[in-house]
Amino acid sequence: MPSNDSVQTLYSDHHGWLHAWLRSKLGNAADAADLAQDTFVRLLQRREHLQLNTPRAFLRTVARGLVIDHWRREELHRAYLEALAQLPEAQAPSAETRELLLELLERIARMLEGLKPKVRRAFLLAQCEGLKHQAIADQMGISVRTVERYIADALYHCYLLRYTDEC
Amino acid sequence: MMTAAQPGATAVKQAIQWMLRLRESGHDPALQQQCREWRAAHHEHEQAWQRVIHLHQDLDLRAVPGAGLALQTLETSQRRLHRRQALKLLGGVAMAGTAAWLGKDLDAVNTWTSDYATGTGERRSFALPDGSLMQLNTRSAVDLAFSDQQRLVRLKQGELMIACSPQRPLLVQTRDALLEGFEGRFVARQDSDCTRVSVSHGRVAVHRPGNGPLQWIESGQNWRLDAQGTHRLQQVDMDAMAWTEGLIVTRDMRLFDFLSQVSRYRHGYLSCSDDIADLRLSGVFRLEDPEQLLQLLPRTLPVRLRQRTRWWVRVEGLA
Repeated sequence: MPSNDSVQTLYSDHHGWLHAWLRSKLGNAADAADLAQDTFVRLLQRREHLQLNTPRAFLRTVARGLVIDHWRREELHRAYLEALAQLPEAQAPSAETRELLLELLERIARMLEGLKPKVRRAFLLAQCEGLKHQAIADQMGISVRTVERYIADALYHCYLLRYTDEC
Repeated sequence: MMTAAQPGATAVKQAIQWMLRLRESGHDPALQQQCREWRAAHHEHEQAWQRVIHLHQDLDLRAVPGAGLALQTLETSQRRLHRRQALKLLGGVAMAGTAAWLGKDLDAVNTWTSDYATGTGERRSFALPDGSLMQLNTRSAVDLAFSDQQRLVRLKQGELMIACSPQRPLLVQTRDALLEGFEGRFVARQDSDCTRVSVSHGRVAVHRPGNGPLQWIESGQNWRLDAQGTHRLQQVDMDAMAWTEGLIVTRDMRLFDFLSQVSRYRHGYLSCSDDIADLRLSGVFRLEDPEQLLQLLPRTLPVRLRQRTRWWVRVEGLA
């Protein structure tokens, strides 16, 4: 874990710059301040030593990940609200259910990041809609064997993320 | 950090295969028995199995209330997130590369296929492959990249009106931004230093390279997008949609600006002397015949036309 001192130095030297950089990405000072803070919190939580040769490149890498997380949340909320708008009002889930679902969707979306679009789609058709492999193959115009391979690949991808990050 | 107790990749992949086969077979008893035997054969198998089952439960959305919208939500947001990342990563670079990137993102790429263009003074309507309607104003050119996954129009020059069909958003790329039109009707004009967007029905989302959050343009609004940012225009001196009906409709428009507009529809030089540039003009003018339109000016304003050739016209004060 980096010493608090080194993060302290990093903070005093580069916080202003990082905030400005984030602001240029987000176009919003309040969000930029939050994410700048989060970036330094992340650093304090890291176990490996900081590479201080190029501190700004390093900060930017961490911060970019947080910006993408931030956008992902925004886009999920937006897409979910649009989808909800198509439902009859009686079927709309409670506010609490929505929050839970959005949290779950965010976790899943993060996990599936980096998968090829077809792999992702095959996997989601199985997980969200409960479709059988044959139905997925028909819908996507690919063979059942390919569907099986895609879904297994996606699960393995998620497995690695979940069980190599946590320990 | 991996510990020695981690099940190996082979065991994990086998566990995934077992889980999928069982799920697919509706938990067939014979298969279940075989799976139990596999699990019992080695401690590593059982460990991998437990982890895969937990993971699968975490990712199983079927049982979650309200999850019927999950697929749509995940797919839509992912598409937009990628588009946004592409735009922001491009930073200040010209948008030319964005289209290629979008294509890559969305898997099935059509190269730019059809070219649509109009000459000076020409206005044409086109039905796009998805049923949307596109109208091009004078001196305009667009490329299309339509596929199952996306509908992308690149405005290379000039002005277009799009009436979106409701299935999916339609994207219009201009030099200054990427516009995402939902069911509705909007106009975009590529000027030399900016893009102007007006929405008459529905709404348009503005994605910009480099900075800024998503900006929505609502029905009835007029915006100017340029290198400095996005600006809502509170007052406009010309009806943005009127050209689609063959008209210029002005409200208190400077004569100089009016002549700039008219010159888009005709060949040759058209301008005015400085002393009358600020005269104001309100009215409805037909675009069919710009020459005739110019002949009207001396009737409403204290000006005269100085015409050297058919292609050289200068409007001057009477004094």
